[in-house]
Formats: sequence, structure tokens, C-alpha cells
Amino acid sequence: MSFSKKSTRVVFFAATAIGALIATSLPAIADNPSPKGDLILVRNEDFASFNPDLAQNDSIFIQQQIYEPLFMINQDGKSVKPWLAKSATVAADKLTWTIKLRTDVKFSDGTPMTSADVKFSLDIATKGNGWGFLNTAIDAITAPSADTVTIKTKTPWAPLLSDLACFSNSILPNNYGGKTADVFFKAPVGTGPFALDHWTPGTEIKMLANKTYWQPGKPYLNSVTWKYVPDDNTRALMLQSGQADINEFPPATSVAQLKKTAGIIVNPFPAAASQYIAMNEKTPALADVHVRRALSYAFDRASVIKVVLAGIGTASNSILAPNVGFYDPKTPGLQYDLKKAAAELKMSKFSKGLKLDYLATAGSVQDNAMSSILQAALKKIGVKLTITTQDPTVKRATQKAEHYQLTSTVWTMDISDPDELLTFALNPVEGGTDAFYTHYNNKKVIAAVKAGQTTTSTAARQKQYSLAQKLVADEAMMIFAYNYSYIYAWRTNITGFQVTPTLSYHMEEVKKG
Amino acid sequence: MNFLFYAGKRFLQVIPALFGISIAVFLLVHLIPGDPADIILGQTATPARSKVIHHLLGIDRPIFIQYFSFLNHLFHGSLGTSFFNNQSVSRLILGRLSATAFLMVGGILFSLFISVPLAILAASREGAARDQVVRVIPIIGLGMPQVWIGIELILLLGLKVNWFPVSGFGDTFPQHLRSTFLPALTIAIGLSPILIRSLRASMLEILEADFVLTAKAKGVGKLRVTLSHVVRNAIIASVTVLGVNIAYLVGSTVIVERVFAIPATGSLMIDAIARRDYPIVQGVTIFFAVVVVIVNLLADLIHAALDPRVAL
Repeated sequence: MSFSKKSTRVVFFAATAIGALIATSLPAIADNPSPKGDLILVRNEDFASFNPDLAQNDSIFIQQQIYEPLFMINQDGKSVKPWLAKSATVAADKLTWTIKLRTDVKFSDGTPMTSADVKFSLDIATKGNGWGFLNTAIDAITAPSADTVTIKTKTPWAPLLSDLACFSNSILPNNYGGKTADVFFKAPVGTGPFALDHWTPGTEIKMLANKTYWQPGKPYLNSVTWKYVPDDNTRALMLQSGQADINEFPPATSVAQLKKTAGIIVNPFPAAASQYIAMNEKTPALADVHVRRALSYAFDRASVIKVVLAGIGTASNSILAPNVGFYDPKTPGLQYDLKKAAAELKMSKFSKGLKLDYLATAGSVQDNAMSSILQAALKKIGVKLTITTQDPTVKRATQKAEHYQLTSTVWTMDISDPDELLTFALNPVEGGTDAFYTHYNNKKVIAAVKAGQTTTSTAARQKQYSLAQKLVADEAMMIFAYNYSYIYAWRTNITGFQVTPTLSYHMEEVKKG
Repeated sequence: MNFLFYAGKRFLQVIPALFGISIAVFLLVHLIPGDPADIILGQTATPARSKVIHHLLGIDRPIFIQYFSFLNHLFHGSLGTSFFNNQSVSRLILGRLSATAFLMVGGILFSLFISVPLAILAASREGAARDQVVRVIPIIGLGMPQVWIGIELILLLGLKVNWFPVSGFGDTFPQHLRSTFLPALTIAIGLSPILIRSLRASMLEILEADFVLTAKAKGVGKLRVTLSHVVRNAIIASVTVLGVNIAYLVGSTVIVERVFAIPATGSLMIDAIARRDYPIVQGVTIFFAVVVVIVNLLADLIHAALDPRVAL
């Protein structure tokens, strides 16, 4: 049997074409392997609940591996993208939103996700005692077809998609899959990349790859185990010995040492979170804007960042952190300047000096450093600052009762839109907290925050939020202390681990080599 | 008969003690300032939302109604449900008992292995160099913080030579044994100084007793006198010391639990106090109280059985 030159050429080209096809398909096969690798993440917080309505930082990151929302916060922390939804359009009345759903999403028990699940989930989230406040703008939710949901808002509501991207609006099976809420939340089912294997309270949660996950080839890991290890040193040693793969939140002061350890990567991810010092305006001296400005000028942010965060942080200039949508870098937040502090104090009714009290968290290295540094600076301008300490839970109660003068307070963004924080901190009535328990009340600020909610144009919203940021910075509503990062350490064989500024972990992207 | 009467009397004394403890615990827990709703709702807790949570948890009711509700649950065999993770308190405590038992039994055994030989060594010649050395050990032992001892043991035996896991409790019996070796040793290093002192003092006292001198005069060997007469009698007083210290151990293993990430009852209690998780604090305290009272009762009964003069 022999081949002609022509047929040989045909065979050669065919073979080359098939070879090329196989070669091009190889990476695709390599990108979609079967899940492999068992990852162990150690953390200093114990898991509390699978109920999204009651989720705090102890539970949010874990829940996010099991449940998913319609929209997802982007890596920049300032915007969202469709996730279980395909698209969202708003009608001309700016009140009716039509959301088209993906049709390839299944819960980990194999049941397809439909609009009935979405309606049920958003309805219970809206009624929730914990995070239901995020959905206060929602008037009605309907499910006209299996892949469509409509949401009608009471007023035009710009932050809606950001609100829907919050973990509290995660999609659960309709009617909890026929179970009671209590039973469901002990063995939950979701559309996320992992499914619950077991939960031993106070010890660990193990989850296995969801075989029906809608993103082809993901997750890459076979399992993720979250272990509660309260001691900082033990977590570091577990990582070093290979008993753990990722260490969540090692102390900033340990970063330099961790960086020197072979086989360990340390990375701070920028956080949409800020540290403040609240000033209670029910204290006569702190109702004086010049006193508040003097205190804000007297706070040496650079020294605090050096001492508390080992340099891993930036001085705040605004109530918003740089990773929050509509943050304005031009906001004139007051920075450390003792001469200006003294000048402001002279302009106040307390120019002859005054005594104030700083309520710090007992046992907190961070609060101890902040209060001591402020105390030393204020002494130079004639303000005597005493420091009292309370257990964290007691301190919180004291702050809520507004029985303090100055106290440290922190905010971590849960959504990409600034509305959550600005309403909470600047609208004393609708925020429900008397403006972060400071008794601050500025009608212009409240109007700007409210306009930001209902104005749909991005440029117009920026204008309102820049105005609000400028006004509260000028009036030193709080001392804007610093913006920090979320620090993680992991072993070098772990790749793809990323954390968003709102603290979302996409464990479906993580590989263990 | 005397012993049975004594045992019955001691048993009856336990009932009012437990009832008093239940009232004290309940009132003390509710007197601690701080709001469980703040823990549940986190940074977004507002007075209005907190009020709803108070109602759901039942802590907006008058305190005496809450106490009777607690007693009612207790008589029905329930310690309630955790505010924090909605789990049954009884199940949470039972889930951690094996770790507590491993830590305590291991700690006691190690401390006996350390204390008895050292106490014998010291008491065998009072004032000699070996006695002076052994007397210094308790001072050193009491001066070393358990956190430091634990970390050093991890660094040496866990990380460098890799004989033991750095942390955790494991899933199987052999894993539990291996995982609790270092924590139990850490506990023993903290407990031994007290036992060494007590045992040495008792032994020195008994060495002067007539029956020991008689035994020696009869030509009984030194080792036999020490083991059969001195240690046996000296250990009676140490049983009570050990009983009291077991009660202390139940609450104090928490540091070791934290360092070695062992999920035992001590850390359950500490976490619950920080979270104002009243049902767990009440449940664990009542449980510990029962254990402590029973252990003390048993220690007294053993003491009475060993030394009949006690029951008189």
C-alpha cells in the first residue's frame, strides 16, 4: 500500500490539524481538573451560624462558600457584577427592576435554582431582624417566570444591586427545601462552590467540593476545613509546621517575622474598613466644633500606624475608606498638626484647657496605643485626657448608651455602596444609632446622604457623597484615624487566594499544589 | 455504720449547695454588664434591632421569670440553647467532655509521675542537697506561665522533632492520646509544685511517727518502710489536696486549651462569657459545680474510708 504525494500532504495537514486541536484543548482539560487538595484555614473566630440574617465576620466568609447572592462584589470592592443573575434592568419609572437569572445553577442537592427560590430568599432577608434593614427600600418581589424576578422599590434606589450583592441576600432553596429554618440552618444547602460536610461547634467546619457547581471545573479544591484556633502563636506554628495552609488575620506586628519564614507568603489585602475615634457631642466640650477639630489635629496617625499596624495602613482623610465606592480622595480630613490643634482650641469656648475621658477596650494593644499617643499630644495643648478601660462587650453597651466622651470605633463595609455606612453614621434617625452614637446632626449632610440614595446618575451621586464627606471632615464629626488591611499568611503551595476589600473569599479559585 | 451515716450526711449537704450555686450563677451572669444582642448583631446593632433580639431570646422578661424558666428546663434535663450558635448547651458540654477528661486525667497522671518520686527523694533526707534542689522546683514551676511552657513544648517537641502535633485533639483514641500529651504535660508542670510540697511535708511528718520508727527498729528495709508505710499514709492528705486542685483544674485548663487549640469545656466557658451567652455560662457553671461537689464529696469519702477517724 502506498500514498501519493497529495494524499501524504492531506494526511500530514490532517494530522497537524488534529494535533493542534488536541494541543489547544489540553490547557482546557488542565484548567478543569477534578477537585483535589484538602485545604485547612485557621482563624481566631468561632463560627456561629448558617443563618445569613445573623451572620457576622465569624460566619460570613464561611457562609459565602455555601450560599451565593445574585450579584457579586468585584475585586476592587467598589462595584458589583452579575453572579447568579444574568442581568438587571430598571424601568423608566426607576422603581421596577427586572432581574434575569442564570438557568444553569443548581443547589448542592441537585435541585435547579429558580425565581421561586430567589423570591423566597429575598422575602425572608427583607423581613430579617439582623440585616433586613438593607432591604428597606424594597416594596415587593415577584417571580413572573422561572428565570425572571422583578423587584419594586418604594423610591428610586441607587444602591439596590449593591444591597443584593450582600451575603444577607444569599439565595436559599424555596421554603428551606421543605424543612423548618432551624433544621435547614443546621445542614444547609446552597448554590456555592462547597457543600457542608460537618460542623463541630467550637472546633471546625469542613466542606466538600459541590459537584453540581455552575462554574465549570470549579472549585479546584476537594475540601476546605475552617479551624478555630484562638491563640495567635499556635496559628503561626500550625502554618509553619504544615498543619494549616492559610492563617487568617495574623497580628500586624508578626508580619516581619512571618516574611522571614521559609515557605510562607504574607499578604495584606486592602480593606474597605476604617478605624475612628467617636466623640460624643452630648459632652458640652465635644459639641464645640473647634474642640473636635483640635482633637482631630492632635491625633498622630503616622505614629499609631507604625506602633499598632507595623506600618501596614494609611492615615484616613474621610469617613469612607479608599476602597469604598464614591470615596473622594480630595476630602479635607484633618491631619496631625499640633500648632493647628492649639489654634483651634484657642478659638473654642474651652481655650483655658479642659479634661476629657477616653474609653478604651480592656486588653486591646491597639486601643492602648491610640489612647496613649493621643493623651501625650493633648497634654501639650492643655487638654488632660484620662483613659478608662472596659471589657469589649461592656464598652459597646456604654457606647450605645452614649455614656462616654471619646471612644474607639470601627466600621467594616458589607456592601460596595457607601449608603450602608453613611446612613448608619450620619443620619441619626434613619440610621437608628444617633449618628454612630455621637449625637452629630447636620441637616445638609443628611440631605446629601438621602439624595445619594435616590439619585441614579453616578456623577450626581458622587457630587452628593463628596459634599457629605467634606462637611463631616470639616466638622470633625469623628477623628478619622486610619484605614487598615486584612492580613493573611499562607503556604507557598497555595495559589489563587484573593480577598476583596469587603472580605469575600473566592475559595473556588484556590488551588493547592 | 459510722461511715454510711457520714456519707449520707455529706450527700444531703450537696443539695442546698447546688441550689445556692444555681441562684448565684444565674444572678451573677445577668449582673455582668454587656448585651448579647451586640454580639449577635455586630456593628449594625441599633437599640431598636437589639430590642427585637432581646425579645426573641427571652431576656426582656423579669429576671425571676427567666430564673424559673431556667430551673424548669433544668428539671426537664435541659440546659437550654446557646444564644451564639443555637446549639443545645448539653450537647456542647458533652461534646467537649472527652477533651476535658483527657486533659485532666493526663495532667493528674503526669503530675503524680513527677511529684511522687521527687517528694520521696526530698523527704528521704531532710535538709540534704537533694531536698534543697527539690524544694526549689515548686518555686520555678509556679513561676513559669503555662502559656510559655506550652509554646516552648510545641516548639521543641512539636515543631523541631515533630513527635507531637502542634495543636488540635484528633479524631481517634490514639490521636487523642498523642494530641493531649503536650497539653497534659503542661498542666502537670503547673500542678506538680503544689503536690510535691504537700507530699513532702506529709512524708516528713509521718517519718517521725511511732509506727515508722517501730518498723525501722524491727529491721524493715528502708524502701519498704518508705513505700508501704510513709508514702501510703502521706498520700491520704494529698488526696484532699489533689481533690481541691482537680476542682481548680476544671476551670484553669483554659490557657492550655487555647494554646493547643483543644476544644474542651474551659474554652467553651471563656468564649461564652465574652459573648454573654448566658445559657452556656449557666450550663457550664452548673455542670462544673456538680463535678466539683461530687469530686470533693468523693475525696472526703475516700479520706474517710482510708482514715476511719474522719467519720467520727
